[in-house]
Amino acid sequence: MILQKLLAKSPRLEARLELLELATGLMLFGFLQFHMFAVSSIILGVDAFNRDSARMDEYYLSYIGIPLVILAILVHGLVAMRKAPWKFQEMRVFVQHSRRLAHLDTWAWGVQILTGLIVLVLAATHIWSVLVTWPIEAATSAARIQGGYFSSFVLLILAAEIHAMVGLYRILVKWSWIHRKKFTKYLVYATIGMVGLGFLTLLVFYFRSIPKGLS
Amino acid sequence: MADRLLTFSVFRYNPITPEIPPRMQEYQLEETMGMSLFIALNRLREEMDPSLMFDFVCRAAICGSCAMLINGRPGLACKTLTQDMPDRITVMPLPVFKLVGDLSVDTGVWFRHLNVRTEAWIHTDKVFNPKSIEARMDNPTAQAIYDAERCIECGCCIGACATANMRADFMGAAFLNRIARFMIDPRDERPTAKYFDVVGTDEGVFGCIGLMACDDLCPMEIPLQGQLAFVRRKMAQMALKCKKSA
Repeated sequence: MILQKLLAKSPRLEARLELLELATGLMLFGFLQFHMFAVSSIILGVDAFNRDSARMDEYYLSYIGIPLVILAILVHGLVAMRKAPWKFQEMRVFVQHSRRLAHLDTWAWGVQILTGLIVLVLAATHIWSVLVTWPIEAATSAARIQGGYFSSFVLLILAAEIHAMVGLYRILVKWSWIHRKKFTKYLVYATIGMVGLGFLTLLVFYFRSIPKGLS
Repeated sequence: MADRLLTFSVFRYNPITPEIPPRMQEYQLEETMGMSLFIALNRLREEMDPSLMFDFVCRAAICGSCAMLINGRPGLACKTLTQDMPDRITVMPLPVFKLVGDLSVDTGVWFRHLNVRTEAWIHTDKVFNPKSIEARMDNPTAQAIYDAERCIECGCCIGACATANMRADFMGAAFLNRIARFMIDPRDERPTAKYFDVVGTDEGVFGCIGLMACDDLCPMEIPLQGQLAFVRRKMAQMALKCKKSA
């Protein structure tokens, strides 16, 4: 035992960080799927979309939800990052190890880190661009997607859904709430379904001309 | 099958001669019926290269000495039949453990440390009376203890673990499985708090990122996913309890 490690030791804190990662992860998973369904209301029509948005505004859901989600993303990112291979040497060890092992779950962690970083950057620009054109309306969303944000949304939907589903899988495995091999296929179906829904929503926004002020 | 010519690509490095850099050396050998990797390595050493270093004792998957990376994956050489392998077989020593030379690693020091850290013996205040009838244990508990106890300390779970590869102080599945074994045992009177200080940390169960290579590659097929989750749940409960009392 060495002095600095002895003094810095705090098992309770480390355990709570793990639980915090779990809680924020589950919360963000729930939010992402809710968000995907909410914006997909554009498939039903402009009115449905605008009504949803107005209702969330009316009940202050947006004003409570958005700051909470931003906080959760930051906390989850910071807490989850503590285990990632940030030192160059650790990164090399991880990549070499994964290549030797050819083990899907091990590679999935690399995917998790990469998609996590993509989400961190793209979610920040996404939230920013939504907030500066507040309130959320079909017309502003369509203008954004038609005005050059399309490809970044494709990437964000893919990264966020893959990150969320692999993350959920990891949680369920770590706490042993599922039979690992049986459950994987359901998660793959769910990922394909949610990404499909996201892309459909995106295409509707991209090809629909929505004049400003229509609501 | 029997007349295949196998190519073995073997990791060679001796820490005593650091001027010779680590390299892969190739040997060719004709396959024989029922050949295991253990048999193949012995033939390589006897017939081609007496300097080749590797460990074995029991050749029956009991001692755990011959664990190595076989085509990149940890496994026991004695339990691996060449008939299940492609024509080209790459063998490397297990990572994480101290390299003795070529395929030989020192798992002994690591596992001794494990036994010392986990205090791997029954802690009880009861005085043993050899004349009294042995206390009964219910069957499910005995089975659960036996499941954990089947660990042969080969180190495959540690070599397969990404975290253990990256961080030398991470305990890994063998460690946590050992803790689980004593936590299940009703004869061990240690309170959970005592275990918490040892494994309720990022070096312990909370350092595990759940990649489950240990569970997939354990030669004894110990259900490590369940064992790790058992320790994780107990430790999480403990952390939450501490919160209330604090």
